Amino acid sequence: MARLGSASHPWPHRAACGWLALVALAALLAGVLPLPYLPGVPDLAHVAQPPGTASGHWLGTDPQGRDVLSVLVFGARTAVLLTLPAAVLSALLGALAGGAAGFWGNKARLPVPYWLLAASGAWWALRLPMPGVALALAAGGLGVAALARLQQRAFPTWPVPINAVVMGTATTLDTIPRLILVVAVAAGAGLSSGALLGLLTLTAWPHPARLVRAQMLRTRELPFVEAAHAAGLPAFRVWFRHALPHASQPLRTAMPLSVAGLLGLESTLSFLGVGLSPEVASWGRLLGTVREEPTAWWLFFLPGICLTFTIISLIQLSRRPSVSA
Amino acid sequence: MSRPKHHFLIITLLFTAVISCLQGCKSKDSQAEAIRIRWAHDPETLDPMQQPNPAAFDANNLLALSLLQVDAPKHAYAPALAESLPSVQLVGDSLMRLNYRIRPAATWDDGRPVQARDVEFSLKLMFCPGLPNENIRNHYRFVQAVLADPKSPQHFTMVCQGQAPEYVHASGDFFVQSEAAIDPQGELRRYSLAELQRRAAAAPADSGLQAVAHRYLAMGTTAPGAWPGCGPYQLTQWKKDRYLRFRRKAKWWADQLQPVPFVLRAQPKQLDFAIIPDAATATLALRSGELDVYPHIPAREFARLRTSTAARAELRFYTALSHDVVTAGFNTRRPVLADALTRQALSRCFDAAALLRATQLGDGQRTVGIISPSDRINYNDSLPLIPFDLKAAAGLLRQAGWRRTTGPAGGWYRPGPRTTQQHLQLRVRYRTSEEIYATVALQFRAAAAELGIPVLLQPTEAGAFSQALQEGDFDVYVRMLKGNPFVFNFIPILHTLGVGAGNATGHSSPVADRLIEAIAKADSDSRRAQLLRRFQALMQQEAPLVPLFFLPTRVAAGRGLTGLHVNSLKPGYTAATIERATNTPLP
Amino acid sequence: MSWLVLWRLARTGLAVWALASGVFLLSHHDLGVAARLAAPDAADLPLSGGAPTTAAQQQATILAIRQRLGAGLPLFYVSRPPAAHPRQWHWNGRRNQYHRWATALLHGNLGTSFRTGRAVTAQLGQALALTLPLTGTAAVLAVLAAIFLARRLAAGPWWQRPVRAALAALHALPLFLVALVLLLLLANPEALDWFPAYGFDQALEADSGFWTRVTTYALHLALPVTALVITALPELTLQLDAALRHELRTDYATTARAKGLAEKAVIRHHAFRNALLPTLTQVAELLPALVAGAVVVEVVFALPGMGSLLATAAAARDYPVLVGGVLLTGTARLLALLLADLLYFWADPRIRWHA
Repeated sequence: MARLGSASHPWPHRAACGWLALVALAALLAGVLPLPYLPGVPDLAHVAQPPGTASGHWLGTDPQGRDVLSVLVFGARTAVLLTLPAAVLSALLGALAGGAAGFWGNKARLPVPYWLLAASGAWWALRLPMPGVALALAAGGLGVAALARLQQRAFPTWPVPINAVVMGTATTLDTIPRLILVVAVAAGAGLSSGALLGLLTLTAWPHPARLVRAQMLRTRELPFVEAAHAAGLPAFRVWFRHALPHASQPLRTAMPLSVAGLLGLESTLSFLGVGLSPEVASWGRLLGTVREEPTAWWLFFLPGICLTFTIISLIQLSRRPSVSA
Repeated sequence: MSRPKHHFLIITLLFTAVISCLQGCKSKDSQAEAIRIRWAHDPETLDPMQQPNPAAFDANNLLALSLLQVDAPKHAYAPALAESLPSVQLVGDSLMRLNYRIRPAATWDDGRPVQARDVEFSLKLMFCPGLPNENIRNHYRFVQAVLADPKSPQHFTMVCQGQAPEYVHASGDFFVQSEAAIDPQGELRRYSLAELQRRAAAAPADSGLQAVAHRYLAMGTTAPGAWPGCGPYQLTQWKKDRYLRFRRKAKWWADQLQPVPFVLRAQPKQLDFAIIPDAATATLALRSGELDVYPHIPAREFARLRTSTAARAELRFYTALSHDVVTAGFNTRRPVLADALTRQALSRCFDAAALLRATQLGDGQRTVGIISPSDRINYNDSLPLIPFDLKAAAGLLRQAGWRRTTGPAGGWYRPGPRTTQQHLQLRVRYRTSEEIYATVALQFRAAAAELGIPVLLQPTEAGAFSQALQEGDFDVYVRMLKGNPFVFNFIPILHTLGVGAGNATGHSSPVADRLIEAIAKADSDSRRAQLLRRFQALMQQEAPLVPLFFLPTRVAAGRGLTGLHVNSLKPGYTAATIERATNTPLP
Repeated sequence: MSWLVLWRLARTGLAVWALASGVFLLSHHDLGVAARLAAPDAADLPLSGGAPTTAAQQQATILAIRQRLGAGLPLFYVSRPPAAHPRQWHWNGRRNQYHRWATALLHGNLGTSFRTGRAVTAQLGQALALTLPLTGTAAVLAVLAAIFLARRLAAGPWWQRPVRAALAALHALPLFLVALVLLLLLANPEALDWFPAYGFDQALEADSGFWTRVTTYALHLALPVTALVITALPELTLQLDAALRHELRTDYATTARAKGLAEKAVIRHHAFRNALLPTLTQVAELLPALVAGAVVVEVVFALPGMGSLLATAAAARDYPVLVGGVLLTGTARLLALLLADLLYFWADPRIRWHA
């Protein structure tokens, strides 16, 4: 039934792909397109002009005199260059953290020498008092390692609560609503594109982490993982090469949704006036200017349509595999 | 299980409720005596010593009185609590005695007369530890003592350190607070004003002073109206971030005066201030009659209302030129901006005329300097306005020794000290809060790009902005300079003494310093006007700042209102003199 | 079961405390910016003349403000004095800002706001009193509407496809877009002037009758609540709808149908309860958001709720309010987790057997 549905209605999917390709193309070619105006250059003689007036602004201008068409095109670039990497990065971070948490739980064990060396490194890095202690720790770590080597035994191990750490961090991050968190940081620091990317990534990773962790809990019980264990492969290799690719499958459907969410968040931030600096074109900021000029329908409809179409297309894209599954 | 039916029921009920009360609730406020005014922000605190924002300033003006207050139509200080302007008596070459007499009719809410000791107490409060008075105390350090006349409690003499003419007005421009209400035990009387001023920050805590501070702070957070005042209004309701309601006191002492001076007039029976942060929302409220007065209405909303016939039938529009000037400033400490020629060249990259037209839509006025063009005596009208002229800018740059190179790393270079090369590239800082700064910065960036000067925009949030300005972490800034027609003291912003504090440009030249000092000391208006004209010419020459244009004050108000007295001074209109013409039907 | 709940509660409680402590320490680490915001802009022309502010005086002013804001004490139990002895740690004892804050917190005192000088608890309480009716009504309406719609959709009527498409389209609209459309369409004298444009009850008079008050209140809330419902509804409905359809394909549903039950009865008595589980999590996740308010809606409709309080506190460096808000949302999350566990317990008896 589901397959029937997707086969008999391929056009929404195709339309979605087409639109996204258009957006991506606009983003790629923004620099070389023969646009009459650039987005960062205000045309002060023509502010808040509706589309189609003789001034050469085909889609009108905003209250600051910026050309709407070029803001739309360059806004596509911002959307692609900001939200896509943020989604990819947060998915990567989430997959690694969630995968590790799901695979090892709280039962991963790290050899004692590593523990001691890490502790001594941390001691030194934090410049805690009595640097001798750091030295002693490092020496202890090396001593234990040497002793184990001498006695031809495996290193003794201590457990690492990966699951507790990852899930605790995720819960802690989730506790503050995302918008408030981003506003708090962004309002204080004033953001460059790179910083905003980092911030979006930081706040977005818990969701993929939860997804991957849940899938990993199932995956690690699957026969092929047990077979890999039985074959004597090291645990890390089993995790990274075999279990993780399988456990990351839910991300394929979650990814477009995550991009859509980040796009909405970035627009909302620009709308609220925090976020990117004004020379960076953004659909959200263009939408926000409608508050200065409520009668300017073109400031509302054009970026609104771009934003909505893109998000709908992304959602459409995410839906397909789940329907056919 | 009939849950779906329940849903239907709920939805239908809700719908009918909404529809049925559409008319009922749109009925307008029946109280014709209330004037409803828009504020963008909550006043946050009504502490008369803080006034963090314009709303707090407005509110304090209704609740409290100063010795002298600004008479908006006359554009001059007028006596409020004082009977007349103080008589001045110069002592030696560094002291000044100001003789004040408080109006005998003036009383606090509890009927006690306002006396000299209240004035002294208010000044002492500014130096009482533990209170948020760090800012105001900087302005009143010049008052050394308040000498009360033992024979008449309303009469006193203020002894001031220094003889600057503006001290005469400044000495009366703070809100007088009631000693009996805040310090009934007279704890502050144990100290003289000078002792409190000299008190070190690390001095051991004094329980008496702590008690006063505690009482004062508690007063600000208890019920509305707790603040004891001698002003015409009483705060009856304060819904945080929603609205404030002030009611006219039924019996106020100034009602006995004949005639009532302008600064003591209080017409509306009730003043409601609605807090609506969003400008578009506020316009909608004004149009639908939920508001009567919309001060500081943004240019675009104002222009839109002015062109709409429907709005013109309901509203009246007022404008006046304010004393706020949008200014760009150069960091003269930077080697690339250290010479006047380069700064002059860059000041020709600001298209002030187009910016004024695009952002203010016909109001406002361009200027040659930081004196308002409305000040006909002091404004130097013989100076030309700085043109937007990129060719001239390039020429000036070449005169300053810059050479333009082409290629991938092309730009303007000139030899620096020793074998270094200076590259002309600029970082522009401005506050994120207002769109107008961004427009100016974008325009400058586009013009500079045409010349081949790379410009990086750095919108900065308020706290970080003032820090960056003070530390000199910028090349160009765009901001608003707030001025006034009473004080011509440019020492904080352009004198060598101000470097590191208010003088963000770091501008410092002996000629300018001497001129600024002479202006501050000038004893006659004509002499001062002469000096100010020279000063404007000098500043245009040296170009540490580029004053672009003065902003207008815009007010939109209901047709039925009169007596707004829209003027160039803060807050731009007078709330206490608004009257509703009785014959006009309510909108 | 109860141990599990307790354990989760303890863990989240610890996380909340750690988070609040972290926010406290990070924010109070640099009170300088807060002090600078409270200081006057030195670059304004002085209205009251006075002596010029020198750099030293400016420094002294900011120092005095820092003192008043509490920066006179060391921040934490241990600190490293700068420059002089870079490798030395100094034990400050209990006279430090963190200790004061923590003890005051245990006594239910969140401190006073930097900006207004009012107690943070009072400010949060006031904001909550406005936010909870708004977000609470929206959440209840959204959940009820989602359940209603999803059940209808699962029965497979002729209108299921367009409705699903419409929901997906709605899902794509960011909240600020919806709020703006509603505001400009329904509270605009130039379009439809049906609703008041802003605020909760500015127009209320003390002497107006009960019903007038209620209707005014409802009218002011109508647009913001609608905006919130419109944005929350699609996700809830689509999720529940997908879960219901999944359940309807399972064997027990087929069995039920084979018994001759009508499709509606199958949905109501069999599939619905099972399909509800993921939605319950979603609903529980909503709770912290309820408390934290809806920044966008509050900004657009000028509602002084929790969201705008926290956003402005963040922008104005009003740290006590910010830390208080974090603690509050954290506590709401704690309750949400508890609620989710209890709801799971109620909805899925299998969990009871396992525990």
